[in-house]
Amino acid sequence: MTGIRDKVGQSGTRLPHVSRRQILIGATATGGLALAWTFWPRAYAPNLTAARGEHIFNAFLKIGEDGHIAMVVPQCEMGQGVTTLLPQIMADELGADWRTIAVETAPINPLYTNTLVVDEDSAVFTPRRLVPDFVSDVRGWARREWAVRHAVMLTANSSSVRMFEGPCRDAAAQVRALLMMAAARRWDADWEQCDTEGGFVTLGQKKLRFGDVAAAAALLEPPAEPVYRAASADPLYGKELTRLDLPSKVDGSANYAGDIRLPDMVFAAIRQGPLGATRLKSIDRKAGMASPGLLHIVEHERWFAAVARNWWAANRALDHFAPLFETAGTPISSGRIDKALAAALKADGYRIVKKGDVAEAMEGRTKVAAHYAVAPALHAPIETRTATAAPDGGRLRVWVATQAPAQCRDAVAQATGLAPSDVTLFPVMAGGSFDACLDHSAAVQAAIIALQIKRPVQLAWSRAEEIMRDIPRAPARARMIATLDAAGGIDALVARIAVPPTNHEVRARLFDNTPADVAQRDAAGTPDAVAIEGLARVYDIRHFAVDHCPADIGLPTARWRGNADSYTAFFTECFIDEMAARAGSDALSYRMAMLGKSPLLAHCLLTATSLAGWEGGISGTAQGLACHSMRGSHIALVATARPSERGLQVEQLVAVVDAGRLVNPAIARQQVEGGLIFGLAAAVGATTDYEGGIATARKLGQLGLPHLAQIPELLIEFIDSDREPGGIGEIGVPAVAPAIANAMFAATGHRIRRLPLSAQPI
Amino acid sequence: MTKFSVNDRPVEYRMDPETPLLWALRDASNLTGTKYGCGTGECGACTVDIDGEAIRSCMVTIAECEGRFVTTIEGLTRDRSHPVQQAWVADQVPQCGFCQSGMIMAAAALLRKNSNPSDAEIDAAMTNICRCGTYPRIRGAIRRAGRVLRGEERIAAAPPPGIRPADAARAVPALKAPHER
Repeated sequence: MTGIRDKVGQSGTRLPHVSRRQILIGATATGGLALAWTFWPRAYAPNLTAARGEHIFNAFLKIGEDGHIAMVVPQCEMGQGVTTLLPQIMADELGADWRTIAVETAPINPLYTNTLVVDEDSAVFTPRRLVPDFVSDVRGWARREWAVRHAVMLTANSSSVRMFEGPCRDAAAQVRALLMMAAARRWDADWEQCDTEGGFVTLGQKKLRFGDVAAAAALLEPPAEPVYRAASADPLYGKELTRLDLPSKVDGSANYAGDIRLPDMVFAAIRQGPLGATRLKSIDRKAGMASPGLLHIVEHERWFAAVARNWWAANRALDHFAPLFETAGTPISSGRIDKALAAALKADGYRIVKKGDVAEAMEGRTKVAAHYAVAPALHAPIETRTATAAPDGGRLRVWVATQAPAQCRDAVAQATGLAPSDVTLFPVMAGGSFDACLDHSAAVQAAIIALQIKRPVQLAWSRAEEIMRDIPRAPARARMIATLDAAGGIDALVARIAVPPTNHEVRARLFDNTPADVAQRDAAGTPDAVAIEGLARVYDIRHFAVDHCPADIGLPTARWRGNADSYTAFFTECFIDEMAARAGSDALSYRMAMLGKSPLLAHCLLTATSLAGWEGGISGTAQGLACHSMRGSHIALVATARPSERGLQVEQLVAVVDAGRLVNPAIARQQVEGGLIFGLAAAVGATTDYEGGIATARKLGQLGLPHLAQIPELLIEFIDSDREPGGIGEIGVPAVAPAIANAMFAATGHRIRRLPLSAQPI
Repeated sequence: MTKFSVNDRPVEYRMDPETPLLWALRDASNLTGTKYGCGTGECGACTVDIDGEAIRSCMVTIAECEGRFVTTIEGLTRDRSHPVQQAWVADQVPQCGFCQSGMIMAAAALLRKNSNPSDAEIDAAMTNICRCGTYPRIRGAIRRAGRVLRGEERIAAAPPPGIRPADAARAVPALKAPHER
C-alpha cells in the first residue's frame, strides 16, 4: 500500500526544499556520503503484530472486529501522560468512542523517529563524519535521514505532542477514510459523503460499526492525501479525559521493569564503584561465597553482581563480597568541580549567541556583574534503575524503561555480541525518569548477567547505587555582566557560562556506547550550543552575547528535566531582578520593558502578577517574580517565600502558562504542577557533593526532596490559545528557583546566588 | 517464625527470617504492587498495612510479622473500589505511578482511623516521597475519599478490572459482543 501511510512518522512537512542540484553538490563534495544515501531505504513498513480478529492499518492503528481500537504509542510513558495524549488525538480524528481505545507500545521502527528533537538539538544528533557542514539544508535533511535510519525514537524535550500530533492525526485520518470507503461500498454510496462518530461510520440514518468494516477497510487503498474530519460538535481533543493508565496505577497492577516475573527468574544486585575510569580490583570471595541464598556471581571489568532467589539476599551478598574498585586519574570531588568551573569561567570561551556589538557598547562604561553557581542535579526517580533480561535460544529478551529504545537495543547487542535483530526489547513504563532512562546501563548489565548465568534475571540498582552512579545534570557557573542605560535598563549583556559540553557526552554515550568517563574526557573543551540554551532568550536587549566556557569537571553529565534552561533561567531571572532593584524599578515593569518581542510571555506575566496580587516586589513583601519560555511554551511565576525557623518556607506559587492548544487540560495541569515541584526540589535539594570519586549522599533522605508538608499552595492558570501545542513536561521547572530566590530577596534583602538556594557566598 | 497472613491468606515464607517483608512480598509472593524505592524507610513506596497501621515494608523483617495481618495494594480491594482508589482516579493523582501504591496504602490507613483528617493530620500521615509532584492533589483526594467513607459523596471513577466483553458491549454501542461475531 502506498500513500500517506508510508510517510507517517517521517514528518514530511518539515523537510526543507532540497533541490536535486543541492543534493548533488553535497554528495559530490563528500564522496562516501553519496554512496551512503543511495543505500538508505526510503520507505519503511509497519512491524506490528495483530491479535486474532485485529487488522493492522498503519504504524499507529489497529482495529479489532469486536470494535476495539489499538493505538500504538512510540514514546516512553514516564508519567507525562503520553499514553493518553496521543490516543486522544487519534480517537478525536477517527471519530472513535473513547471507551474502545487500547494502547500498545511501539516496536522499534524508523517510522517512529522523533525528527523534532533531532532538529531542535542538532548539535547532539548530527553525526560528525557523515554530514557536510556547508549546505545547511542538506545538513538538516541528512541529519533527519540519519535519525530515521537509526530509528531515533527519542522521548525527550517535551516533544511527544509537538512531534507526533501531526503523524497521529494523519494516521487516524487515513484509517477513517478507509473505514468510510469500506462502509460506502456496502451502501453503494460515495465515501466522501460519509462521516464517523462514536465508533461508527455514518451516512444519514445508516450506521456501521468500525469493527464491522475493519476487515474490508484494511484491504483498500487510502487516498493520497489525508482527508481530515470536520470539527466535531463534541470533540475529544481538548477534553479533560481521565488518563488511561490510572486504573492500573491505583491497584498495583501497572508493570514496571521490576514487576516482570518469568519462570526460573532470579534476582541480581550490583556494585559499580566510583564514577570515572573505574575497574573492579578485588572481591572477598571467601566471605562472599558463604552468603545465604547466593546462586551466582558475575565479575565484569567495571562492576560486580551477585544473583540470588530474592533481591535482598543478592544485595546482602554484595556486602560480604565487599568489592574493591580502583579508579585511574584524579578522583572526582566537589572541590575539583568548583575549581574547574571557576577556571573555565576565567578562560576564553566560545561565543555562541551574538547580537549587536557588546564590546563597543560596553567600552568605557561602568559594568555591573554578578556571579552565580548551580550544583549538579540528580534525577532521583523513585524507581531505581531496573531491567529484566531472559536468554531465549541464541537470542535475548529485555524488559526495560527507555527513552531511546533502538539505542538501548543496540547497546545491549554490542555489549553481548548478539546481532541487534537477536535482541527483543519490551519497553515498559518508567517509574519517573526525568531523562534518567536515556541511560542504558541497567539493560546492558542485566543482559550480560542473564547470558552468563543462562537464566532469566532481574537486576535492580540499590538506592545507594542509584545516587552514586546517576549521571547528573551538569553543575554550572555564570558571570553576568551588563552595562545600563540612563534609566537603569540593560543596554548590553554578556553572559559567560561555565558548564561541561553535556550534549556531546550524551551523543557519545547514546549512539556510540562510549563509557561515561571516556565520553566526558573526549568532549572536554568543545563548545556546546545546547548547554547554554535559554539564557535571556526572551528579552530584547540591544547588545547581547552568550559565551560557553566548556569546563572539564571530571564528572560525567546528562540530560535532565528542563536541561540547560534549568540553570540559564536561574542566571537570567536572578540577574534581571538584581538590575531592576538597582534601577529602583518594579521587577514587573522592568521585565515588561524588555518583552516587546515576546508578547505571549508578557501576557503571562501580566496575568500572573494580577492573579497573585503583585505588590511591586518591594522589600518586606516576600514576593518574587520569574518568567521563561522554552519548547514553544511560556510561563510566568510569582513565588511567595520567606525564611522560617524550619528554614526556607515557600508559601505559594502562582503560575500562568501559555502552552498553546491543550490536548488534555487536566494532564497539562498535572505536568505543570509536577514541573513546579520538580523545580522546587531542585531549588532546595536534589543534589549531592562528591568526594574521592563518590557521591557523599547514599540515602534518599539525604537529598532534601520535599514532602507533602513542604508543598506550597499552587495556583495554575492556562492562557486560552489556538496556537500549535507547546511542550508541557518541562516548562514548569526553570522559573521556580529564581522566583523563590527573588522572593527571598524581597523578604530579607539578601541575594541568593546559589542553587540549591543557599546564602553561602560563592 | 515466618507464618502470617497476607491479603487474608495464611503464608509461611521459607526464607531467611531477617528478610525484609518487602522482598518476601515482591520476590516470593509476586505481589509486585508494593515497590522498592530506597530500602531505608524514607520514600514510602513499599508502604503496606500491618494490623491497621501503615508500615514501610522494607523496615520490618518477616520474623517480626509472625502472626500478623499484612495487606498490600493487591489486597486493599480486588476491584479498585476502595474510596481512596476511586478518589485517586477521580482527582487524577498518579503520574508515573511508581510511588502511588504506597501513597494509597498510607492514605487508606489514615482514613480508617479518622475519616475526616485535618491538613496537619494528612501531612503527618503522608510522608511518602513523590518525584513527579502529585502532592498538590493528595490532600484533596484524601478529603474526597473521606467524604465517600462518611457517606456524603459517591464516585465511580475507576472501572473494576476484568469486565466481560459481553458486558462491555452492552454499555458501549461501538463494541460487539463475542457471540455477535
